[in-house]
Amino acid sequence: MKGDRMKGHAFILGALALAAGVAPLQAQTGVVRGRITDAASHEPIAGVTVTIGARGAQSQANGRFYIAGVPSGVDTIRARIIGYAPASEMVNVRGGDTTNVDLALTAQAIGLAELVVTGYGEQPAGDITGAVTQLSDSQFNPGRIISPQQLIESKVAGVQVVDNNEPGGGIAVRIRGATSINASSDPLYVVDGLPIGQGGGISAGRDPLNFLNPNDIETITVLKGGEASSIYGANAANGVVIITTKSGRSGPPQVEYSTSFSASSVTRLPSMLTPSQFTTAVNTYAPQNSPQLLTGATDWFGQVDRTGYGSEHNLAVSGAGQSNNYRLSLGYLNQDGIIKGTTAQRLSLGLDYAQRLFDDHLSVRTNLRGSRSVDQFSPGGVLSNAAQMGPTQPVFDSTSPTGFYNWPGNSLQSASNPVQILALAQDKGTTYRSIGNAQAAYHLPFLSAMTANLNVGYDYTTGTHDYFRNALLHDQLVNGNGGYQEEYQPNLLNTVMETYLNYAAPLRFMRGSIDLTGGYSYSQSHGEYNDYQANGLSTSLLTTNAFPAARTVANTLDIEDSKLISFFGRANYNLNDRYLVALSVRRDGSSRFGPSNAWGTFPSVAVAWRLSQESFLRGMSSLSDLKLRASWGITGNQQFNNYQQYAAYTVGSAQSQAQFGPGTFVTTLRPSAVDPNIKWEQTTSYNIGFDYGFHNQKYTGAVDWYNKSTKDLIFNVPVAAGSNFSNFLTTNIGSMKNTGVELMLNARLLEGGRHHGLGYTASFTAAHNTNQLTAINPTAGLGQRILTGGIAGGVGTTIQVLEPGQPINSFYVFQQKYDATGKPIQGSYADSAGCATPGTCAVPRAFHDPAPKWILGHSSYLSYGRWDFSATLRAYLGSYVYNNVASNLGTYSEVTRGSPYNLQSSVLTTGFTQPQYQSDYYVENGSFLRMDNITAGYSFNYHDKPMRVYVAVQNVFTITGYSGVDPTAGLNGIDNNIYPRARTVSGGLSVRL
Amino acid sequence: MNSRMWQTLSVALVLTGVACTDTTVEPKSTITTANVFTDPSSYQKFLAKIYAGLAVGGQSGGDGNTDISGIDGGFSQYLRLYWEHEELPTDEAVLAWGDVGIPDMNLGTWNSFNVFPQSMYYRIMFQVSLANEFLRQTTDAALASRGVTGSLKATILTYRAEARFLRALSYTHGMDLFGDIPLVTEADAIGTAPNQAHRVDIYNFVVSELNAIIPDLPASVAANYGRATTQAGNMLLAEVYLNAGVYSGSTAYAQALTAAQTVITSGSYSLDPQWRRIFQADNNNSPEMIFAITQDGQHTQTYGGVNFIIHAECGNSYNPSTVGIDGCWYGNRIKPEAYLRYDTVNDIRAGYIFKTGQTEDVSSISNFGAGYMAPKFQNITSAGAQGSNPGFVDTDFPMFRLSEAYLIYAEAAVRTTSNLPQALAYVNAIRERAYGCAGACAAADITAPQLTLQFILDERGRELFWEAHRRTDLVRFGLFTGGTYLWSWKGGVQAGTATDVHLNLYPIPATELVANPNLKQNPGYSP
Repeated sequence: MKGDRMKGHAFILGALALAAGVAPLQAQTGVVRGRITDAASHEPIAGVTVTIGARGAQSQANGRFYIAGVPSGVDTIRARIIGYAPASEMVNVRGGDTTNVDLALTAQAIGLAELVVTGYGEQPAGDITGAVTQLSDSQFNPGRIISPQQLIESKVAGVQVVDNNEPGGGIAVRIRGATSINASSDPLYVVDGLPIGQGGGISAGRDPLNFLNPNDIETITVLKGGEASSIYGANAANGVVIITTKSGRSGPPQVEYSTSFSASSVTRLPSMLTPSQFTTAVNTYAPQNSPQLLTGATDWFGQVDRTGYGSEHNLAVSGAGQSNNYRLSLGYLNQDGIIKGTTAQRLSLGLDYAQRLFDDHLSVRTNLRGSRSVDQFSPGGVLSNAAQMGPTQPVFDSTSPTGFYNWPGNSLQSASNPVQILALAQDKGTTYRSIGNAQAAYHLPFLSAMTANLNVGYDYTTGTHDYFRNALLHDQLVNGNGGYQEEYQPNLLNTVMETYLNYAAPLRFMRGSIDLTGGYSYSQSHGEYNDYQANGLSTSLLTTNAFPAARTVANTLDIEDSKLISFFGRANYNLNDRYLVALSVRRDGSSRFGPSNAWGTFPSVAVAWRLSQESFLRGMSSLSDLKLRASWGITGNQQFNNYQQYAAYTVGSAQSQAQFGPGTFVTTLRPSAVDPNIKWEQTTSYNIGFDYGFHNQKYTGAVDWYNKSTKDLIFNVPVAAGSNFSNFLTTNIGSMKNTGVELMLNARLLEGGRHHGLGYTASFTAAHNTNQLTAINPTAGLGQRILTGGIAGGVGTTIQVLEPGQPINSFYVFQQKYDATGKPIQGSYADSAGCATPGTCAVPRAFHDPAPKWILGHSSYLSYGRWDFSATLRAYLGSYVYNNVASNLGTYSEVTRGSPYNLQSSVLTTGFTQPQYQSDYYVENGSFLRMDNITAGYSFNYHDKPMRVYVAVQNVFTITGYSGVDPTAGLNGIDNNIYPRARTVSGGLSVRL
Repeated sequence: MNSRMWQTLSVALVLTGVACTDTTVEPKSTITTANVFTDPSSYQKFLAKIYAGLAVGGQSGGDGNTDISGIDGGFSQYLRLYWEHEELPTDEAVLAWGDVGIPDMNLGTWNSFNVFPQSMYYRIMFQVSLANEFLRQTTDAALASRGVTGSLKATILTYRAEARFLRALSYTHGMDLFGDIPLVTEADAIGTAPNQAHRVDIYNFVVSELNAIIPDLPASVAANYGRATTQAGNMLLAEVYLNAGVYSGSTAYAQALTAAQTVITSGSYSLDPQWRRIFQADNNNSPEMIFAITQDGQHTQTYGGVNFIIHAECGNSYNPSTVGIDGCWYGNRIKPEAYLRYDTVNDIRAGYIFKTGQTEDVSSISNFGAGYMAPKFQNITSAGAQGSNPGFVDTDFPMFRLSEAYLIYAEAAVRTTSNLPQALAYVNAIRERAYGCAGACAAADITAPQLTLQFILDERGRELFWEAHRRTDLVRFGLFTGGTYLWSWKGGVQAGTATDVHLNLYPIPATELVANPNLKQNPGYSP
């Protein structure tokens, strides 16, 4: 450990020494300071390289620069940044005095100078060397957005946003495919410089990022991996999503208010038998059950779905003074889901305050956010029972104690009335979360190119998730449970301290400029997770509000502590915006690994060459930008359980005891299998691409090819039996590969504006990814499979496989044989190749996988005078879905249960009388084209206040061959009574006072 | 200059002075090897886990938090798997389900990728690993280092004998099912792939272990229900000796007879006058029970074990409440060969067979209606009351019971042509109970010439039906493979057909051959 400490210190000191080496030590010098602005908009420009003689600096966010140690005399001051024409002016510098020079730059290639947030800094878009995409609020998806990730859905090539259709439902984001199986494949989220963890932290309800009001977000930057994200080291293998919130703008105080109202309705539901079809099926295949049938006609899905209404209000007050700016925001959202009992509610408060002190040398920005999210879920079993419950049976039964009908006999083999579940069960999570940080940047007065940064922050989450099932519920009677209650309370506090030095200046001893960053980061996490579970409640009257006496009670408390300690550094070299080199390295120490593997090093290299600056392409006047990029980087993934290296004992529950004499039962202790040498997963990525722009950036875009190889994949692998305390051990064995291509095109086809008639901008994204599990156990040559993907139906039935040479989670199914009429033949599967005795060699094989091969996105923005229109389209190609509703309920055997289940209508085609879970008949192509949203807005002034009203429709239509509810819900491609997708119509108003 | 130096230094100090680099974080809410034995009750809890490893699939009720991965905890529960391995490929049972691997268990077409032998192998070795670790943690040196003395140490010495019994039990299952398996003991280090031993090595180890520990096992039967007592040790020894020819190549019937006789003459057990009670929810009160894998609706909940046997034995028109459970799983039926072995008129051991709506022949494996139901195990007490929980049965599994000791004695006697009158008396005692006779009775009793090996095999089939002995018995009699004795679905066809001798052993799992390169596959199996 000592060696590591020394290395860290040496690294920081080295950065300082490098900076000190170029420090001024001359007499008879003066200071030149000033401000750089855009000649047209008068907005400040940051990141401009300003030089005078051999000295130079870069402009800060407010456009200001400060160059000390300039030799006295007359010299030329030059300002240069990509995307603008260079400017220069003669200055007379007097020794010991300060000269003020303001320069205005004229834009040449729009967008290239726009600052893009990178880890621990910002860079002009034109100088980016890695695969980075930044979107600002004008490009975000409109409509009813609950989770921030939805803002960029189908907007960024290579980014797949997967929601579960519930309002604010848990969202998974995959950047360039999954890189892990056992650890998380979600990206690291960084909010205003504060890393809040892979997946965005924890929640007692739905998505953890819901604490952040999407209306407060200014930009979202996606670092797609490799070089771009490796400055975040051990957390960056899945890419990094950097969220920057809005801050106050210069000018008088502004009050902004926006509101919207929405209505959501169901699009598609599972296709079940009608009452008469159901009656026929029961009479034919289970006549013994016919006496149970009644003659009603209940649409069970109709009983549990609804039109979900929602409303949202956002109020923000912002402004800026001479040396400060502020923004205070308040948001309220309430959205009902389209299944009864589901709602998402959020109350959020945000305060952003920035102050510049000491002659602008010190700037401090503080950010404080708090939110309360209340998520109500439809209690377990509503959707599955709505599918299974007999359509001939009524909702109500006045003779039952609860007033609800259920099948007679309380057979285990019977569906429950979903309306009763909605009435007598609860499932609700309340999450309180607050994050706050203070960032201080100190521009050293004696060394203007040097900035010292300090960022301290916290992220605190606490919440409760309550589950309750009344003792009179059908399922409680059936399993003899007598009522169930659970309260889960997660509490998590993360604290982060980061400090880094930045030095950005033209080089004195050679051409070009450098940008050096070196720093240290310490983050600590303390979590306490309480869980209370009770069965056999003495009363059901108190629901979730108290803990009545119960037959069995289980209380658990889990305390989780972890640390991550890092040293990081980066060097960017820029020669005339033509040749760009970026090097970075991060060294991370994590508590999640034993002493021998605590530390890992994550380097990266990137180079870029702007061909459009070269003389041989100057002649091509239509080419406004062409930059080739190549990068390589190593990133890590440490997102899995704590304490893997400790040999732990697991205490058994009160229901898994062993008998020691009459009436005496002893709780058990089990040692767990452990690998003390476990270490992080490591992803090596290559990226080759180019950015292009034509006709003064009228057409811009990028093309990227990447290859990501993850090694030391953390896997639960078989170990030699008898050598450890389980047959499987969580350890680093396995590797995976993702390869892909991404294309982006933005076209400003028509320049609009309020007074210039029609404006039209179109953007297209396309991303292709192929995933392959390359090895599970490199120590032996045998092919090996790990079965995964549990489904409803049977016991322990799985439908997917992890198999070397195949994409992860490939479906593992038999090849169905069909008769002459195209009808699948029950139990008849094709033999594997080389079968000696035909008819006996059918084996399941890996067959397609859930991940889309191509994700295509298109956005259009149209403006005409005061009107604006936008639309977003998305398509997946080559994604596959296993229709578990059809495989589970599409068989006549389901009516032979104690009380018959309703059947999925595929049974009318297949005629299956036994379940055929592993038939590839149920693996369907999930490719689709969807219009994600369409919006029309109208802007006007009312009493001199600018206002905008709009109408938006989300999920306008989906064209797909998939027969189930939704081809997109869920990452794993198993459609088992998923929450249906809503079509939402919303209308809103925003006003600035 | 001074001011600049100061500023530079202060910035450097802020950056480096706080640069802590210690990443160690100790677990707080987790029990680890460092602190587990500071609580003296941990010894009992650890031993309890080795017992529980036979009865439940994991650390939560209903087999959650499973001990082995790669298969559902209930599916892979030790007793359930052992039962399936001993019953499904034989003339006694057929399981309707189509889950991957189950049809092959019915048909004798399993290969090394089959998840059932794979899980069985892992369960057996898991038990061995647990017992080894318990022995490592309770050596004299380890106990002395923790200051354990006096009565706690005496108790732990008994626990050590029990752990060694449980290890011997699982090694017996291992050598019986898989043949040459590794012999791992407490002397082997954790984390090293063990070498393969020969079946005879395992046999010798088990015999020597049992002989060593029997004096140390708890003696009192009543006070130690659920634990391995002295006579449990002798019963296991008797079973191992009975099959010594299979395991070691040389028979040990005389020793088997002696061991069985020790059990019988210990006086600790008597035949239960109520044969049905041995398989009911209050079978813990049966005077016949020598070693039970205990199940309990409140304390020991599993989807394997007897809970599986009872739930899977009914379906169709059978009312599950008749056997005290919440619902039927439509799984196992009796094959006609086993059914027709009974005097179905007089033998009460066939009295529970349920025929309504079922066919005698098993014309289809997957159709639950093909084959009679055999609800022998029941979650109702001998007084007719339902067990404490219809979802999880109270019925314990009779791993060893007295009538098996009688049958071992009888078989060993016939094979060694010694003690034949006593053997006949024991067999007739079993039969008289089965026919409901109080004492000698013509319908039940057999004569000395009738006491043949074939008769004993059949009587074992009648008495120990669905008690997880059948495959071992058929192997010992040389009938499990080959064409001498055919039964429904033997060899994969309903009429039965000759099978290859390699099926006498299950394959070493393919996954295990990958994980442990020291192992070789059993003959007749590819990888």
